[in-house]
Amino acid sequence: MFRRFFATATKGANLVSDVVIVGGGPAGLTMASSLKNSPILRDLSCTLIESGDITSTLQDYYADPPETILNRCVSITPATIEYLDKIGAWKFVKKARTENYDYIHTYDGLTGAAMEFDSPDMATMIENFNIQASLHQRILELNSEQPVNPLDLRDNTKVVKITRDPKTSWPIVQLSSGDSIKTRLLVGCDGARSPVRKFARIESRGWAYNQWGVVATLKYKDSGFRSPTGWQRFLPTGPLAQLPFPDSWLSIVWSVPPELAVVLVSLSDDSFVTMLNAASRLSQEELDSLYDLARDEPEKLKEEAEWRLGLFNDNLTAEQEEKFPPMVESLVPKSRGRFPLKLSHADDYVDERLALVGDAAHTTHPLAGQGLNMGQADVKSLVSTLEKSRERGLDIGSKFALDPYYSERYPYNHAMLGVVDKIHRIYSTRSPLVVWARSLGVDALNNVPFVKDLMVGQVSHMKSTK
Amino acid sequence: MLAQSRLGKTALRPLVQSRNLFFLPTLASAATGFFLRDSIRLANSLEDNVNQRKSSNDVILEESEIKPYFSRPAKKYPNHIPLYPYEKVAMFVTSAIGAFLHPEKNQYIVALGESTAIPPFLKRLRKQMLDDETGRQILKDRPNITSTSLDLDKLAALPENTFGRTYYEWLKREGCSPDTRVPVRFIDDEELAFVFQRYRQCHDFYHALAGLPISREGEIAVKFFEFLTLGIPFAGMGAVFAPLNIRKSQRDRLLTIYYPWAISSAANCKKHLINVYWENIMEKDVNELRDELGITLPPDMRELRRIAREKRRALQANPSPTP
Ligand SMILES: Cc1cc2nc3c(=O)[nH]c(=O)nc-3n(C[C@H](O)[C@H](O)[C@H](O)COP(=O)(O)OP(=O)(O)OC[C@H]3O[C@@H](n4cnc5c(N)ncnc54)[C@H](O)[C@@H]3O)c2cc1C
Repeated sequence: MFRRFFATATKGANLVSDVVIVGGGPAGLTMASSLKNSPILRDLSCTLIESGDITSTLQDYYADPPETILNRCVSITPATIEYLDKIGAWKFVKKARTENYDYIHTYDGLTGAAMEFDSPDMATMIENFNIQASLHQRILELNSEQPVNPLDLRDNTKVVKITRDPKTSWPIVQLSSGDSIKTRLLVGCDGARSPVRKFARIESRGWAYNQWGVVATLKYKDSGFRSPTGWQRFLPTGPLAQLPFPDSWLSIVWSVPPELAVVLVSLSDDSFVTMLNAASRLSQEELDSLYDLARDEPEKLKEEAEWRLGLFNDNLTAEQEEKFPPMVESLVPKSRGRFPLKLSHADDYVDERLALVGDAAHTTHPLAGQGLNMGQADVKSLVSTLEKSRERGLDIGSKFALDPYYSERYPYNHAMLGVVDKIHRIYSTRSPLVVWARSLGVDALNNVPFVKDLMVGQVSHMKSTK
Repeated sequence: MLAQSRLGKTALRPLVQSRNLFFLPTLASAATGFFLRDSIRLANSLEDNVNQRKSSNDVILEESEIKPYFSRPAKKYPNHIPLYPYEKVAMFVTSAIGAFLHPEKNQYIVALGESTAIPPFLKRLRKQMLDDETGRQILKDRPNITSTSLDLDKLAALPENTFGRTYYEWLKREGCSPDTRVPVRFIDDEELAFVFQRYRQCHDFYHALAGLPISREGEIAVKFFEFLTLGIPFAGMGAVFAPLNIRKSQRDRLLTIYYPWAISSAANCKKHLINVYWENIMEKDVNELRDELGITLPPDMRELRRIAREKRRALQANPSPTP
């Protein structure tokens, strides 16, 4: 092992860094800005490794944002915004490209039972790139403020291998550039397939939801002013979420079985729009027929779906109309994408000189829009744990110093994953008994404001630390 | 249906009825709404600070603006007669008893048909139409079968081997007309009402294809065949209960000849019959059509009955000597 280390070391530089962050996604960039923003931690040397080309793409986005809303979007909570603001990144967010919505209309595809949540400023829709670009700007700003010890951001660089120093047992990351970095603390913000977690041999438990999330950016028909509303219809094939953006833009996450995801993504733009409108309104039997048509005779889909929608809309009273999202008019070309959905939770978030953050530690179904928010709360917790141990003079990389992060975050994340999983299960069934019980439950809940507020409170205002 | 419309927010509840336990959520939401409505209203008004400023008269006035529990909902199509659930139950019970005791009275049969055509079954039928190109076309065209729409004179002029002519001859022999079918009135969803009307109007085509008469016996045989191919519960009830109430010789004929025919034809049936656009295939060769659909021609029921009758008469005229 020593020989191999020696051998690679001869090719590139042999570096040392107090903290190495793997991954420049939302979690990694937040981690980096937060460390450099902390008066207690900012003197630590810190490197971020990202395989993708982020500095130029994020700079381009920031300098000249695209005309349309990008397809990767998230719903973030006030707690997340508060934190991004605290670390100085929120001011760089392009606010005109975000939408606050204080009303989410959830309805049941089989029974029509509806539940409305509203609470001031419940959530904000934002493009992932908007978050990442503003964090990047914040990092540039912090680096210019502290030119002696800047964050070393290395993109277009992949972590190809991780080993431990045989003597000190510090992790050593080997980079695709040939360099290697030995570190006191390795932070894995490297997403669901986390190489860092694999290196640490931390077991991640869970299961794949037999669903893919189809995402896309679309535009509503102009139907006069409607206050920004999120819509989520629970269909037995999976939830369909329509989330609002300014200027009648919307972003969707349409969770469906993998076979159906393939079909939906391959439809023509027009047919996809019609199918989407159908899925937000028509009955399950009608949808089942349309899905078959979409698979077998896609050229006929548009006409048939429009016929069914016409029938449906003709029978709708003005009052009922309010219970459905507006009709979608068009799809941004090439904006469709699909992502496998799974539940996973790492047994541990920390090890000697190693911590996992964000999707590297846990993944969840997007139906509650919590994945990224949970990662933000992880960063907040980990950074404050590091601050405390630094103040007490502990070695920040020791498992002992890192443990409070795990014990603070694990139970909360576990509960969240569990609740989301239960909701997913309850709604993915066609079993009449469950369907009945859930409608009863939803109707009862919708009638008791107190319980609902509690639920909204749980979802949007829960603070990650005491 | 009605319970729902009084809870404004569940006005879209008809979707519910696709489930087998279609009535439970309705009942449940009605119950929850009922038990909680006062406390919810009170809580809401307390929250909004309205209650304090109002006299109790105002509150009573406001309450009276809430929709009355029993107001008949609006018609969904011209012939529609919206019923309360209890009325539907009453209609089912009376028509079932009536149909059993007086199967010759059309009104009972019609009412029984409609009260058992509950949405889950109709939705299944509609689903089968939606899954088929012709079925969808029928749903779009909404054809109504009448003697004018079919143009009986034209059918009479068709060559003998055509389906249209066969149907015409059958009408003539049985002395009936496509206009005798009663319009659907009690089914609440407009499209499902059409589906049921279509089912009802196509019934005579099966008779004609199989050459079965509209006597009680012939009716039972066709109903059984319909039940097996279309899954209409009413037809199945007829097939199970009606034979209890007929002469033994008729029952024997049904059990040995016509039920087996219905079972084998239904098993071989190649196309869902609700998806056959009968009006458009009048000129088709009738045997070709039977082959295409996989339906065989059963022995002529009238003929069998005539033979049986003659035998009986012969027996009565000169009873054979006891051995
Ligand atoms: C369809 C969908 C909808 C969602 N909607 C919401 C929502 O509404 N609200 C919400 O809060 N969350 C949502 N999420 C979840 C959210 O997107 C994720 O939780 C979040 O993006 C995770 O961020 P991360 O930084 O932890 O991981 P990632 O974004 O996966 O980032 C990991 C990074 O690590 C890099 N990397 C990996 N391996 C290496 C390596 N070997 N070397 C170098 N770099 C490496 C990758 O290139 C990547 O940039 C949704 C997810 C999906 C799929």
